[in-house]
Amino acid sequence: MKSIKYLALLGIFFFCSFSAVHKYYVSITQIEYVKEKKSVQIISRIFIDDFEKLLRKRYDESITLDNGQDEKLIDSYIKKYLLTKIEISINGKEMIPEFIGKKYDDGIMHCYLELENVESISTFQIQNKVLFDIFDDQKNVIRTNINGKNKTVVLNAQNDKGLLNF
Amino acid sequence: MKKLKYLFLSALFISASALAQDQAEEKTERQPGHTNNNKFKQLYDEFSTPNMFRTASGAPGPAYYQQQADYKMDIELDDVNAKIYGEETITYTNNSPDNLEYLWVQLDQNMRAKDSKTPLIEGSGIPPAQQASSFAKSYMTDGFDGGFNIEFVKDQNGKALPHMINRTMMRVEMPSVLKSGDQFTFKIKWWYNINNHVDGRGRSGYEYFEEDDNRAYIIAQFYPRMAVYNDVEGWQNSQFWGRDEFALPFGNFEVNITVPEDHMLDGTGKLTNRKDVFSKEMMKRYEKAKKSYEEPVLIVTEDEARAAEKTKATKKKTWKLYAENVRDFAFTTSRRYIWDMMAVKIGDKDVMAVSLYPKEGNPLWEEWSTKAVASTLKSYSRMTFDYPYHKAISVHAKNQGMEYPMICWNYGRPDADGNYSDRVKYGMISVIIHEVGHNFFPMIVNSDERQWTWMDEGLNTFSQYVAEQDFAEWYPSSLSPGMDKYPSRRGPAEKIVNYMGGDQDYIEPIMTKGLNTYQFGNNAYGKPATALNILRETIMGRELFDYSYRTYAQRWMFKHPTPEDFFRTMEDASAVDLDWFWRGWFYTTDYVDIAVKDVKKYYVSSEPTQQIKDMVKARGMSLSDLPPLVYMVEEGSEEYTEDMKTKTLMEGSQPLKEYIMDNFSPAEQKQLKEPKYFYNVTFEKPGGLVMPIIVEYTYVDGTSKTETYPAQIWRLNDKEVSKAVASEKEIVKITVDPKLETADVDTSNNTWPRDEQTSEFDNFKQNKD
Repeated sequence: MKSIKYLALLGIFFFCSFSAVHKYYVSITQIEYVKEKKSVQIISRIFIDDFEKLLRKRYDESITLDNGQDEKLIDSYIKKYLLTKIEISINGKEMIPEFIGKKYDDGIMHCYLELENVESISTFQIQNKVLFDIFDDQKNVIRTNINGKNKTVVLNAQNDKGLLNF
Repeated sequence: MKKLKYLFLSALFISASALAQDQAEEKTERQPGHTNNNKFKQLYDEFSTPNMFRTASGAPGPAYYQQQADYKMDIELDDVNAKIYGEETITYTNNSPDNLEYLWVQLDQNMRAKDSKTPLIEGSGIPPAQQASSFAKSYMTDGFDGGFNIEFVKDQNGKALPHMINRTMMRVEMPSVLKSGDQFTFKIKWWYNINNHVDGRGRSGYEYFEEDDNRAYIIAQFYPRMAVYNDVEGWQNSQFWGRDEFALPFGNFEVNITVPEDHMLDGTGKLTNRKDVFSKEMMKRYEKAKKSYEEPVLIVTEDEARAAEKTKATKKKTWKLYAENVRDFAFTTSRRYIWDMMAVKIGDKDVMAVSLYPKEGNPLWEEWSTKAVASTLKSYSRMTFDYPYHKAISVHAKNQGMEYPMICWNYGRPDADGNYSDRVKYGMISVIIHEVGHNFFPMIVNSDERQWTWMDEGLNTFSQYVAEQDFAEWYPSSLSPGMDKYPSRRGPAEKIVNYMGGDQDYIEPIMTKGLNTYQFGNNAYGKPATALNILRETIMGRELFDYSYRTYAQRWMFKHPTPEDFFRTMEDASAVDLDWFWRGWFYTTDYVDIAVKDVKKYYVSSEPTQQIKDMVKARGMSLSDLPPLVYMVEEGSEEYTEDMKTKTLMEGSQPLKEYIMDNFSPAEQKQLKEPKYFYNVTFEKPGGLVMPIIVEYTYVDGTSKTETYPAQIWRLNDKEVSKAVASEKEIVKITVDPKLETADVDTSNNTWPRDEQTSEFDNFKQNKD
């Protein structure tokens, strides 16, 4: 039953691509602590277009995402980038997440990261600087479900770190 | 008589007793009263009162009026310095019953002026690190010197008119009050610096191509434009902050545009001096395009465009355009453009589908743009009214998606080698369908975009979904291998679930001014489009919905509708009470979550259950007082025995058997249904929205049946409701919303017995291993 609830929590918001509006630079990162598995499960949802722009600018001009290119190489770039830009400390101690993989879905890339062997969480700090290096007005929304509590933090370039106490 | 009374009595207490007892125990204090908060309450409080301008049916009333603004303009582009100059004569007709003391004119370009307040309402702070270019822009330069320079405002005799500029709005004072029915003509002369829309993210401006030092201009909201005066807002002079779009009256435009001689140009309206500005070869191709219904004909080829970008003409040329009954005017011009056209039959009329694009758009643009335009006109004409203008243009401009009458700017650019992904291709086709579709909403069904973004974006995004599906049907070769339909991003119910089930701190009702919403795209585009799609597919059905939607579009074409006009018309033309739907979906941030709470199985019995015995006793009666009753025994209860499962109805209940034998002939008895399984299915509604309960009952033999209980099932209890289900076959599974058509935000509680669902994360990880 426990896993049933997750679905309800996966509220993400993504922004319109068309029309008449400025493009909004937003990523949503969902963080779920599954105590039974001692696992912190992280899904980061980022616009494919934005991320492609980043990878091209930062690593390799020839990259096109979601287009049948060498996904191993792309994964290695994503991993390298995400692990530099996302920093997590649990109970005051820095922990490096493992990059599980990514998938493409409707213009959005879902990146899966995991921290294992997490016995308990009393404080959770996250810094998420993803895409701040190319978009000044990038916002990274962090949604956590830790110890049965839902919390939301919105990070931007001026305020790129959030500390949650439990 | 006595027995009848008992029958009445028993029926009553059997159904109501349990509830009454529960409530009796809890009610220790008297509850306070309340106003009518039923979700089916009619929208009298929210809607404006119908009147002579707008009727209760949602149609324009007998006193409906709208103002008219006619323009004559001479425009000149300075391509070397990226400046634009204009002199315009506005003739304003006051069709309102009111006398006007002054006029309001919109100066949208002032949003880019140095003293614009737009940047001041955006929160900011000092980032720890910043790109050098944006640092320089923020702190070291003065920024772009945009905004109108108004040289004069004069009446037609050349006398200066007092005027006052309040940011993006200019109040013009007339020598005397403009009486109802009168006209006033005045002139404005202006110029401004054109912005780079790729850097500054405007809906208008130029893109600069460094390799050949050329620009492609997309020019819009470029002239002082009359504000709307009407019966609902008075003057709509709410400032333009940059997001909420426009409110504009209809009128006729006579526009002469002078550009370098080697530029191509197209815009709103009929080109009245085509022979002066087209070469003979272009004229020949144009005549050919008029008769080409299948494939676009190139008016300017890529080779010609490539040749043109290598030189710069010093001479100028004037293009003359005339448009009737449009709410706005926009144009595009560049020497870099490739230009193609194709005819499309709309009703009994030929309309020209047109595309202009720099070579950077190819090979994508030559293949799909004009076909997408034509396809859109056909789909929307079917859903609304025949497209009334003579052409529709799609212009390729980097990162743009923006609409004007007869012309729009669209993104979708292959990489430098001409390669493109599916994402780029469908992004481009979708944005073209969307922006061309805007010709219908709001260019013709002219709602107030400044106030209600959803009225054009929501209706248009819904129609876009229909048109996208048509497009793939009409051009199956546009689909990539493995696709069976167009990959629409908005419309299907399940695509709005993440938004509607998301954090309530970042959601506003649809009925909110666009400027003040958190998630503009989902709020004003995605959710209303999905709501309409759900109305069409699930609540009303296509026949009723399509008729009503068309009625709304036809009632309000070339007029100014309000939200109520739309809501009322949809009911008026269909006889479907939709107040509950509008209330929930448009006026609140509630979401759909309907669950199967509990399922109990019953069998018939001749013996009273303990519950009945207790009730009889409590009322001082004895069992012999009861009439013959069919008792229901719950599976697993104390009275339940395994053999109940195998007995037929007649075997299970003696009173039933006798009643049947007494009242039905043997022939009639054979016709009777004989359900064997009885279920008490309880549905609960953790979500705030009322919606129909769509239930799929799956039987032991693998067959299934879908039942829809209308939304009104929730009218007397917003939390929980039960249904008795009698079945000849055993039910093994019950699923709410099996086809995901209601946007239920939590489907984990939709089934009985409960499906164990794995999270997205576990799913991904497992499939990976």
